[in-house]
Amino acid sequence: MARIVGIDLGTTNSLVAYFDPQTGRPQCIPGPHGSTLCPSVVSLDPDGSIIVGEPARRRLLTQSERSIYSVKRLMGRGPGDVQDELKLFPFRIDPASQNVIRVRLGERVFTPPEISAFILRELKNWAEAHFGEAVERAVITVPAYFNDAQRQATKDAGRIAGLEVLRLVNEPTAAALAYGLHERQRGKVAVYDLGGGTFDISVLKLISTGEGDIYQVLATNGDTHLGGDDIDNLLQAQVREEILRLHQVDFAKSADSVQELRKELIRVKHELSAVDRATLRFPLAGGAVYAREFTRAALDALIAPVVERTMKPVRQALADAQLQPTEMDEVVLVGGTTRTPLIRETVEKFFGRKPHVELNPDEVVALGAAVQADILARGVKNMLLLDVAPLSLGIETYGGAVAKIIPRNSTIPASAQELYTTGVDNQTGIDIHVVQGERELAKDCRSLARFTLKVPPAPAGLPRIEVKFLIDANGILQVAAKDLRTGEQHTVEVQPSYGLNDAEVERMLEESIEYAEQDFAERQLIEARTEAESILTATAKALAAVPDAQLAGGEREKIDANVAALQAAAAGSDYKLVRARIDELNQATTHLAELMMNSALSTALEGRRLAEV
Amino acid sequence: MAEPYTITNPPLVCWSCHDRTLGTHFCSSCGKLVQLRGGIDYFTLFEMPRKLWVELPALEKKFLQLSWKLHPDNFVSASEQERELSLQHSSELNDAYRTLRDPVARLEYLLGIEGMRKEGEHKQQAPPELLEEVFELNESLEELREAKASGGDLAGLQTRLQAAEKSFQAQLGEVDARLQSAAREWDAAFDAKADEGARKKLLSRMNELLNRRSYIRNLVTNVQKELQ
Ligand SMILES: [Zn+2]
Repeated sequence: MARIVGIDLGTTNSLVAYFDPQTGRPQCIPGPHGSTLCPSVVSLDPDGSIIVGEPARRRLLTQSERSIYSVKRLMGRGPGDVQDELKLFPFRIDPASQNVIRVRLGERVFTPPEISAFILRELKNWAEAHFGEAVERAVITVPAYFNDAQRQATKDAGRIAGLEVLRLVNEPTAAALAYGLHERQRGKVAVYDLGGGTFDISVLKLISTGEGDIYQVLATNGDTHLGGDDIDNLLQAQVREEILRLHQVDFAKSADSVQELRKELIRVKHELSAVDRATLRFPLAGGAVYAREFTRAALDALIAPVVERTMKPVRQALADAQLQPTEMDEVVLVGGTTRTPLIRETVEKFFGRKPHVELNPDEVVALGAAVQADILARGVKNMLLLDVAPLSLGIETYGGAVAKIIPRNSTIPASAQELYTTGVDNQTGIDIHVVQGERELAKDCRSLARFTLKVPPAPAGLPRIEVKFLIDANGILQVAAKDLRTGEQHTVEVQPSYGLNDAEVERMLEESIEYAEQDFAERQLIEARTEAESILTATAKALAAVPDAQLAGGEREKIDANVAALQAAAAGSDYKLVRARIDELNQATTHLAELMMNSALSTALEGRRLAEV
Repeated sequence: MAEPYTITNPPLVCWSCHDRTLGTHFCSSCGKLVQLRGGIDYFTLFEMPRKLWVELPALEKKFLQLSWKLHPDNFVSASEQERELSLQHSSELNDAYRTLRDPVARLEYLLGIEGMRKEGEHKQQAPPELLEEVFELNESLEELREAKASGGDLAGLQTRLQAAEKSFQAQLGEVDARLQSAAREWDAAFDAKADEGARKKLLSRMNELLNRRSYIRNLVTNVQKELQ
């Protein structure tokens, strides 16, 4: 069976991992730069190619208007949802965006799933380079508190990247899988997961049964717009204000400087996780320097509100699981932001026990995804994951109220049937509005989809249409309708309120394959140029070693002409042309190579072409 | 200890091997997941009698056993038909467990399958003996909202509402106690194979109590919301 990889598509960094059957453990795959972390940054080069990861992160400073980070914050959201983000993030939203946001990078626009797909494709390349074979199937993690549209957008991103997404797994649940395997834990576990842009809390029960271990999620809660980014934003706002006050320099005018400053502030934040004091020296336009010392105490005071915001979902999740903080057997910290000492202290105090931090908080989610990938590859053999829907599913009723049909924290898959009929004679359609959330009015919940049930003409109240709402194992809604009088299944065309339709995803997949081919051509060109360089060097060496007199008439001129032709081709960008010129030069130097070998008295090299010598 | 209880499913023609099978989830001939039988109730699914007292650890054990077999994770590489069936079976299992493990949802479900609660008939009328109290409560709530808007005397109103909340909480406790005793009577009637008339009377009593309970609960929730 072909490999299934586990991918953590994070706000700040993304990772890919696989389950190693030899060691019985999951393992992260490093990229070409040696790190297992791929910064979730995408940049559009002026030549039209896409740059992902570490090189793109460096471009945040020099080509900020062509680069994007934290795109996860935009997944599955509409333009109206992100106004707050726009104040703090340099997202350039295309004014023509309608249901789905379109982001401008240089001269092109992309949807958030397309940008995420570039990151996924990069990770797919890492994995393919590691295994030396194609990777086409993946398990991708999402914040547990992601709603339907955000999950669908993530699935779409996978498809656009050419991956079959076998399962979306909730990040804290994935972390619990990785820890459970590592620690052989049993009992009740709380997973506190604060990443770059999202916060999740999940309460699980780990049960040993005759068949194997069951990881049952009892309750989950969170905030999909709360994370380390918010801490960075607070620091940045404070420093920008100080710089404006002390030096009359306004940073809002230069996107590149803002990124430079942000990078420095993140460094300061990281340093303060280990030591009590850190300094910042930041040169400003006009020769002035902003210098400041930060203390951990001051940072703690600044971020205390962010930490407090995480505690409300924690309390709610425990209440939903009908457990007290002290009833937890284990507490696990996940996500890079949990390195912050204040967070560790707060969590420890709340639960009254030391949290687990043994596994690298950056890697643990990807490792768990790899465990789930292994479960899916082999079938449920000794581990089973039972996850829940994070938000209640409801339908709008009279007066804009919501009738909850699947309560939050229901084990998924979960379903609910509703019976519909008509109110007037010969009514041909019934409008249905599906929402997600805990509020009582539909307008305060998240709109998932609207659709019209088609009804054959009949007297009022006679039609009986049963609609089945089903949340699948990925936490994504499916709708089916059945006419109870005829037994006929109706197809329900559900147009997502904030998502791409199938045709759009297909088109984006095709476009992305073009990009991938472009990438392929680029890699081929680099290889061909490298080869051209080595044959050109070898030819020059041979020409210097072999006296002209030994060459046939016109041979030297022919070689010189081929050398010039190859140099010209290598300066261009057509890898096929470079290859053709390499072959021509090889032909022209066959005799030269023989002479070279004779003169070197090296019979061992006989028969080999010059380029190989 | 729950007594042994056997249920015979109506036979089904397996979609895969076309044999007739009695299995609830899997075909007894070919072992594949069978089509979902319409009309199997949650008690039958868990091989339990239609009684209101449920031994929760046993229910959980059965739920986990069935989850191992039915969960979609088992069918990722199976045919599309089997993947779809696993989704249907496992969602039904989860729906059933969610309903049966909660005493109120369990009772509501029982009343539904016994024909006591019809679709769309969840009208909430104030029980007559509560009318006066409800009327007073609504008045106090209205005054509180006004006082909040105009900055009037909040403290006095809050004390009054807290007292009302306490009174309704007490009534809720009383309804719960009466429901529990009715549920015990139902289970006894089930074991004694009581006649249709006696059963209907019990069901109707429980239905009334349940309506009353949800009415009072709503009142309490509303008061709590205003007091926050
Ligand atoms: Zn069969």
